[in-house]
Amino acid sequence: MRSSPSTYSGRRGTLAFVPPRYGPGVVGGAEVVFAEFAHGLADRGWDVEILTTCARDHYTWANEFPAGATAVDGVTVRRFPTVIDTDGRQRDVLGNRLLAGERLTLEEQQRWVNDSLRVPDLWFHVLDHTADYRALFLGPYMFWTTYAVGQVDPDRTIIIPCLHREPAASLDIYKPLIEGALGIVFLSDPEQALADELFRLPGNTTVIGSGIDLPDRYDVETFRRAHGIDGRFVYYAGRREWAKGWLDLVEAFRIVRERGSDLRLVTSGAGDPTLGADGLDGALIDLGFVDDATRDAAMAAADAYVQPSALESFSRTILEAWGAGTPVIANAESEVVSWHVERSGAGVLYRGGAELVEALTMLDQHPQAYEALATQARDYVVRHYEPSTVLDALEDAIESWTATP
Amino acid sequence: MITPFAPYRDGIANYAVQEVADMRRAGEDVTVLSPLPSAAHEHLVVGSATGMLRLLRRVGGFDRVIVQVFPELLFGACRHRIERLAVWGLWRAVAARTEVEFRIHEIDYATITCDASTRRTAVAALRAMGRRTVHTEAERRALEEAAPGAGPIELVDHGARFTPRTSLDRERARASLGLDESAFVFLSIGFVQRHKGFDRAVAAFSRLVGDHRDGIELHVVGDIRVDHPDLSRYRDELDRLIASTPGCHRRSGYVGDAEFDRWIVAADCVVLPYRNIWSSGVVERAHLFDRPVIVTDVGGLAEQAGATHVVSDDAELLRAMAEVAGVESSAPSIGVDVDRAGLERSIRRRAGTVQADGRDRVSDHLRRVPAATLAPPISGRPGVSYIKRLIHRVTSWQLQPIADVVNDLRSATTEAIEQLSGGERDGDTIGNGSSVEPPDPPGA
Repeated sequence: MRSSPSTYSGRRGTLAFVPPRYGPGVVGGAEVVFAEFAHGLADRGWDVEILTTCARDHYTWANEFPAGATAVDGVTVRRFPTVIDTDGRQRDVLGNRLLAGERLTLEEQQRWVNDSLRVPDLWFHVLDHTADYRALFLGPYMFWTTYAVGQVDPDRTIIIPCLHREPAASLDIYKPLIEGALGIVFLSDPEQALADELFRLPGNTTVIGSGIDLPDRYDVETFRRAHGIDGRFVYYAGRREWAKGWLDLVEAFRIVRERGSDLRLVTSGAGDPTLGADGLDGALIDLGFVDDATRDAAMAAADAYVQPSALESFSRTILEAWGAGTPVIANAESEVVSWHVERSGAGVLYRGGAELVEALTMLDQHPQAYEALATQARDYVVRHYEPSTVLDALEDAIESWTATP
Repeated sequence: MITPFAPYRDGIANYAVQEVADMRRAGEDVTVLSPLPSAAHEHLVVGSATGMLRLLRRVGGFDRVIVQVFPELLFGACRHRIERLAVWGLWRAVAARTEVEFRIHEIDYATITCDASTRRTAVAALRAMGRRTVHTEAERRALEEAAPGAGPIELVDHGARFTPRTSLDRERARASLGLDESAFVFLSIGFVQRHKGFDRAVAAFSRLVGDHRDGIELHVVGDIRVDHPDLSRYRDELDRLIASTPGCHRRSGYVGDAEFDRWIVAADCVVLPYRNIWSSGVVERAHLFDRPVIVTDVGGLAEQAGATHVVSDDAELLRAMAEVAGVESSAPSIGVDVDRAGLERSIRRRAGTVQADGRDRVSDHLRRVPAATLAPPISGRPGVSYIKRLIHRVTSWQLQPIADVVNDLRSATTEAIEQLSGGERDGDTIGNGSSVEPPDPPGA
């Protein structure tokens, strides 16, 4: 725990973090960031609450956790049930039009955002108790929880938008949320640059990143033994779904295998790993949900970590890979991932499926070239994303943006 | 409470949120039902007989039901007059089951007075309610006239539950909005609709003259609520008018609650020259921050406006703005000989249909082409509306996209031509390089 600097005003007042999901089995970079911030500040002596839904799965939003308040490692977690009482047809139709590049009217945008999960009890809790909180941190920007709850009391609201370039980011309905908030916390410079392009940002903004807690050791041998994995492999940890580039990855990997490579693809996380993976039997190893130690060991054991997603606002996993000294093969379409790779020099960027195939083929044929890239990887993570540095920056923002109760 | 609700954004939803917050703070257990999915506890479309039957089943568990009334909420899903009659009858049944308060923000009197049986049923429904409330005396008189015998109609203060959505002072509000600290700022704010009359504020502003005229600004803030050809056309007209009026500025797009209040705090005077309205939440928000308001004498605004300026026409509006800003006005008095050709040129320039030098815009012809719209499926002949609706339903999915493309093409072509002609105009300079100024408005 960090010692209490005299500049901080006794860490008085309650902070609320409002992610759409929180708890065991919840997969998602933004959710990890919110948990890290909430528990990190609680460890430093802040009174922290997490206000979230009862959902674990972001596809069904089914209420799997019980509603009500519980204490988790010194943090009060209040859960509120999701309500889905519309058929979602409008969201599908309007969402497809949005993806096709059409401009939705204001009313259509409002119908789109309200035609999915809603959490009225959470909204009313904040309406009734907003004065009890020194600040409310909400994000990612696109979720109903952020959009609706974030406008109840803008003067106490700090948005952690987890923004990336996607059609929804330019919807008008998000402007009052972002532009009217007390402050905005960004995870990277490219994210702030994008926000600057899309919004008239409030006076209080900061880029603080997310802390990466690196393990003292990586138990590669135990990992390989436990999962029966020998030989060379590339690793991907995250949501196995179209939006995260999973289909591009398995398609590229299939071609590389057809070229005679014996590389294997090891993967963990949520979603269906068999999606688009026909014919990869034996070459594709699914670990399912894994604990942090297993993930870290997999990172360290891999020849490279692959980040196929274009929709990243921070990309913790590439930093975890670099922490383990493993080079990264990443999709250049993600501005923040490109920024990380260009700053660190610890990986290669590809543009499109053909380049991904060649990047994997190069890894197969010239592994030493990739090993050379990774020499500065761990240092980059330690220098920029040491957890206490990140929490210091977050506390600075709280102290300077909010009034001490 | 039955009401539109957050995060939907309109005046009544905003009003309801503040009332609900206040009631819950006072310890009342409030459940919100909204016609569209929202942060309300449940959603329920009540504007039809079916919806009213659902409400009738649901309503027994409540001690009191407050209905934030506007026309769409009452009858938005009704298909014909008979159904509207049934809806009134069902409101009477609801009122028999529990205490109902009709908080009337807007009502279409024709839905009460259209025929004798409807009026009887509506009056009976209103009489069965525990409370009938409006915001102004003018609304009370109008309702009493439309529904005589409906029982006492009470006045409730429109802004009684309003709370500030910003804590910034004038200086910080101006800084946050990028406004000049020393300027005198007029503000017209709200959804852009012809009946709000923001164009009248711009026209009056253009006639302010005097030594300190340069330090005065008018900011028109807000956008259209929904994309509709009529609303878009008015917004385009307003935008062109503002663009051709020095000192007048436009903040279009979506304005959040906090920014809305920051604009009011930043303003020296709020100008609301409505052509018609029932009552105004903007007036109440201006009062909340002690900002003077200039309003036209329509609906109940004169009562709401309190000690601020109530004007009855454009000449009075101009005088009021000049007085508030401490400058003179250039209003031509009656009988002044105005050059007709100059007046027409000025009108067309303000409408954006001529260039600054008075020549016709090339795009003028395109702007005169009406927007492509599908004819509404209604008819006065019995049964024909039904057939038209059927045809509309069967064909609109194919025809509407075509109409949209035609309108988009028209807009894009017009804009492209105007950009091209704008480029020509930019190059139209006199010897010292300064731009040719547009002709002064008549009488200036």
